[in-house]
Amino acid sequence: MLEKSVLQRVLDEAMKKGGDLAELYYEEKQMSQVIYEDERVDKITSGREKGVGIRVIKEGNTAYVYTSDLSEEGLLKAASTAGKSLGKAGPVQEKAISLSGQEPGIGRTSRDLLGDFTYPDKINQLLAANQAVRDLGEEIRQVTMALSDIHKEIQIANSDGELLEDAYSRVRLSVNAVASRNGLIQSAYESAGAVSGWEILDKIDFVAMAEKAGRLALKMLSAAPAPAGSMPVVLAGEAGGTMVHEACGHGLEADLLQKGLSVYQGKYGEMVAAPGVTVIDDATLEGHYGSFRMDDEGQAAERSVLIRDGELQGFMYDRLTASQEKKDSSGNGRRESYQHKPIPRMSNTFIAPGREEAEKIIKATPRGLLVKKMGGGQVNTINGDFVFDVQEAYLIEAGEIKEAVRGATLTGNGPRVLRDIDMLGNDLGFTIGVCGKEGQGVPVSDGQPTMRIKELTVGGTASPGGPQMKKIRRK
Amino acid sequence: MEDLLREAGEKALKAAHKKGMQAEVFLSQQRSMNLELRDGQVETLKQAEEKGLGLRLLNAGRLAFVYSADLSAEAIEQAVNDAMDISRYTPADKWNSFPAGPYLYSTMELYDENIPVSRLEEKIEMAQAAEEAARRSDKRVKLIEKSGYEEGECTSLLMNSHGLYAWGKANYALLYLSLAAREDDESQSGFSVMIKRKIKDLEAGAVGQEAAMRAVRGLKSRRIDSASLPCIIEPYVMARFLGLIAHLVSAEAVQKGKSLLAGKIGEKMASGVLSISDDATLGEGLGSFPFDGEGVPSRRTSVIKDGVLMTYLYDHYSACKAGVESTGHGRRASFRHLPAVGSSNFILEAGEESPEQMIAGVDKGLYITEIMGLHTANPVSGDFSLGAAGLLIEKGALSYPVRGITIGGNLLDFLQNIDAVGNDLRSFGARFAPSVRLRSLSVAGN
Repeated sequence: MLEKSVLQRVLDEAMKKGGDLAELYYEEKQMSQVIYEDERVDKITSGREKGVGIRVIKEGNTAYVYTSDLSEEGLLKAASTAGKSLGKAGPVQEKAISLSGQEPGIGRTSRDLLGDFTYPDKINQLLAANQAVRDLGEEIRQVTMALSDIHKEIQIANSDGELLEDAYSRVRLSVNAVASRNGLIQSAYESAGAVSGWEILDKIDFVAMAEKAGRLALKMLSAAPAPAGSMPVVLAGEAGGTMVHEACGHGLEADLLQKGLSVYQGKYGEMVAAPGVTVIDDATLEGHYGSFRMDDEGQAAERSVLIRDGELQGFMYDRLTASQEKKDSSGNGRRESYQHKPIPRMSNTFIAPGREEAEKIIKATPRGLLVKKMGGGQVNTINGDFVFDVQEAYLIEAGEIKEAVRGATLTGNGPRVLRDIDMLGNDLGFTIGVCGKEGQGVPVSDGQPTMRIKELTVGGTASPGGPQMKKIRRK
Repeated sequence: MEDLLREAGEKALKAAHKKGMQAEVFLSQQRSMNLELRDGQVETLKQAEEKGLGLRLLNAGRLAFVYSADLSAEAIEQAVNDAMDISRYTPADKWNSFPAGPYLYSTMELYDENIPVSRLEEKIEMAQAAEEAARRSDKRVKLIEKSGYEEGECTSLLMNSHGLYAWGKANYALLYLSLAAREDDESQSGFSVMIKRKIKDLEAGAVGQEAAMRAVRGLKSRRIDSASLPCIIEPYVMARFLGLIAHLVSAEAVQKGKSLLAGKIGEKMASGVLSISDDATLGEGLGSFPFDGEGVPSRRTSVIKDGVLMTYLYDHYSACKAGVESTGHGRRASFRHLPAVGSSNFILEAGEESPEQMIAGVDKGLYITEIMGLHTANPVSGDFSLGAAGLLIEKGALSYPVRGITIGGNLLDFLQNIDAVGNDLRSFGARFAPSVRLRSLSVAGN
């Protein structure tokens, strides 16, 4: 961490040519990853990094300079570059900046066991998980696993006199299993992660997680090719909220709205989803992958209701976008590292549970697709079109779950999907991911209950002539 | 800068040698500047400078990798110690080694002195000119999402215990623009990026016009019924497919059973009109550099010749394992990353026909201008199902835009189905592609 007096001098230098805000973000991190593949430890890597990002905002415009030169001279040079970058001089603050330390947002109860969990401990977990998956049978051809952790210490100081410090650890566990039969190859992926140390293994059974991936890969070997065409789709709670994150969440980030890039622009207070649909972003959920105590601008974490009972009620702001609307930041100013300026980002985003039993939703569906596991996705925020890959899906016929299908994708339009939700379950499932925006990846989690969408385009490789489900034959 | 990096590298090698270990140090220093406009004014200006080292340490066949963004003596000592710790737990592997050389590196002109010395105002003006060209070219262009200029330079140095020493420097400049066109209630997005080794080669007007064209031509889109159709794939979309193919010809992917091209060397795995090469020695192209991330000299490699798979791309490890020579494809994303097999400039070689001639040969088909979700394609089975958009082809001419469709199939069928390659070769950073025509592709719509 940097000394208060140094921080003050650097911020003074950054504000020398005037500006509305100068901010310094210091980050010191240490990360390590163990990758297991081909029945052996494949790679162990680790890294250490320290750096500072200096930001000056003047009349809504931003200069951002980052450097790994942490000498006072290096910092002053970076601050001076940032201060001068925005051209014309603004009003200059007479008084020198005086910083006072503050506590970051909500408290934290988790232990920090990153250091106690050594390479041999990790390798033991990996060996046990590999054995469990291989024991599922000869058809398992590959098991790739990774255990990663990062420990970060950050310091945020700004020309408003705020000085905040935080330290946290984050861990991630992932498994990819590949199975093969008669030339057909299927893979399945499971992951878990949290803002936590390795005490997460008290709650998550890594071996069971790996077995689950292995079983799914095997099951998909017997799956029929997915049908193609429009049909009702039931998304199971355990499928997580990738859909709400991609198809709705990004459109509620204030920077996209202010640039006119969101389909939700000008829709505040309007019904944008079916009645009963409530969408929340909540960074305060303890231990979730997208959780934090304060965001990367020092703002306390919040729970924000974005859509309540179908009505658009809130957006996600960082300080800059909030100041444009004379509002307070909603605590969504996040950045990947000291190399990036903060922008509005989601944390843990989910559709709140409804009332129906998940089973009832399937029973009430005469014909359609049940999605139990989503893959990756992509969305066009201008028009809301999206496509998602599906990892695990089943046909629904006469209200019953039938055979598994593989290779499906879901294509649709975000705003329309929210209006087309016609049943909401009383469960809630989360999945984790790294969300990419403007070249910055931040950890997030997304959730939803089991829910039914009246109609979505399912892209599959079977029967391209038309969605005649009965014609589907197993290969 | 070379001196500073070399001294740090020597310190790291010395510390490793003192412990009786072999080592390799990759060091780099990067500078970049990026300006983004909003309403013609600079909204964000970002300047960056960083340096660091990536150390691979070899302890009796066991490999460790550690990186550090701090090049102080203490940080280097710490990195070597961390690597020693790691090397106790990785498995011994007889193929683990570092290239021994000696190599001769060719001199490559990859640094344009005009990029750092050009005035900031000129760079801002270029980005503004791209915006103006877009607005001027069509009045339905209503909104500039992002427009900007970016430049970057990188100095890389590599040294290892065999005495190998390589040093190089390169820079680039680019313009980008993404925008939305609006008509009635419909919005469509369009973008363009131009990356050049020489700043004087940037053409702001072309960037603006292309971004506008891409957005406007998607307006008034309709949906179509599911069918199998002949398709023409635009160079930009084909360049994205090339990314997938580059992954599949990686010897690392092949050896780990992650490529459907395993065991297919010498086989005709694609249409005879298809030839693909990889060439790190080009003057243009973002993938050019005198050596790869392990210090192996750059070269040109014929990957697919007239539909026949000629070779995979190898780094030092995969080459040792296969008993061949590295093709110079041990690429590093940065000092934070281990070298891994990757393409340099990956080029689908141009054919004879113009895109207009290719379209004229289609009675009813689809001209594909956009795909979504390519990362979901399965590299082992080759199955893909992608969101897509484009323009319908009717009676040999482009007709109305089409949206909300998915295209699906298997990559090998896709490659066999190509019946014409265009003469309109274009570069997209490190990938070069012309238009291609497919006899038939499964399109799912209504």
